[in-house]
Amino acid sequence: MRPLLRNVAALAALTLLAGTVLAWFAQVTEDEVASNRLEAELRILRELVGVEVGAGVGAPWRVRQRRADGALRDADLVLCERGLVVLRGAGDGYGGGFRLAVALNLDGAIKGVRVLEHAETPGFGDILNTPSEWLDSFTRGDVHAVTGATITSEAVMAAVSRAVNRTRLDEMCP
Amino acid sequence: MNQFTEAAVARNPAAVQLLGLCPLLAVSNTVANALGLAIASTVVLTGSAVLISAIRKLIPEDVRLPCFVLVIATFTTLVNLAMEAYAFDLYQRIALFVQIIVTNCMILARIEQVASKEGLGRTLLDALGTSAGFAAAILILGAAREALTLGFPLAALPPGAFLVAGLLLAGVNVVAARLRRARDRAVMPLRE
Repeated sequence: MRPLLRNVAALAALTLLAGTVLAWFAQVTEDEVASNRLEAELRILRELVGVEVGAGVGAPWRVRQRRADGALRDADLVLCERGLVVLRGAGDGYGGGFRLAVALNLDGAIKGVRVLEHAETPGFGDILNTPSEWLDSFTRGDVHAVTGATITSEAVMAAVSRAVNRTRLDEMCP
Repeated sequence: MNQFTEAAVARNPAAVQLLGLCPLLAVSNTVANALGLAIASTVVLTGSAVLISAIRKLIPEDVRLPCFVLVIATFTTLVNLAMEAYAFDLYQRIALFVQIIVTNCMILARIEQVASKEGLGRTLLDALGTSAGFAAAILILGAAREALTLGFPLAALPPGAFLVAGLLLAGVNVVAARLRRARDRAVMPLRE
């Protein structure tokens, strides 16, 4: 009995110590990590939209909107005066959830698709990382699932079409 | 030969023991990535080895492996968080391989063989020596691949890692064999 207690006590003490240190350090780095992620996201948007997305133009990007059903969701980026809107999309791929941005011209044509965050297997998920020939194929309106990454590509295609279908351009930019 | 040079050269983790090959092959496509992973591995190995050496008398024999892995995983997560906060560009390129440092048998081997038995001084020298040996190997491989890419694009791709690492290991073995023969010849007359 005694060795068992000793083993359990040692493991528990070490786990507690590790957990405490990690929780403390995660808190220390939290703000820095969040701002790095946002910065990386804005960089992707800047390249997609072609204008500086920051305090002025992109401010709504950080705002969470209350939907009709009461749930909060991330706001779309409405840039009517520039002739486009950027829609939020999300879905579940093979390795976990992903988030994406779809830039839509006011005539409804897709201007570009970028994946902001994903957890797909490296290698197979590379089609989601810019520059991506496959993501560019959305702008030509001729998209096919990629061999070897069927689940990933079909999930992204579904998320893009969901984002586009829920959008009423004439209401966003009257 | 002291602990440091023995760990770095005679027992070089990559070239002699062939440990830590997964990150060695995967992240040696550029010198910058190689340096990032070398630093991360050094912090994890040195930190874990020193901590375990300090508390080695408190760790029960039966549960030593879970304890070692717990400590290594903690240091790996700390390094990963630090990189995500303060070196985000590097993090985006090599995060996956920083996370799997936790499964690097090079680190567990040094802790099982040295840190769990020896005092702080010898443990620190051994950990730093092993890290230096790994850093030298990955930096040489990274530099070779980056230089070769100019005329031989395959060098930057995964097959290039195997080809260049194989040639470098063959070179190391040739040199080591020459040194051994030279030493044997020098020793021979004494035996007669």
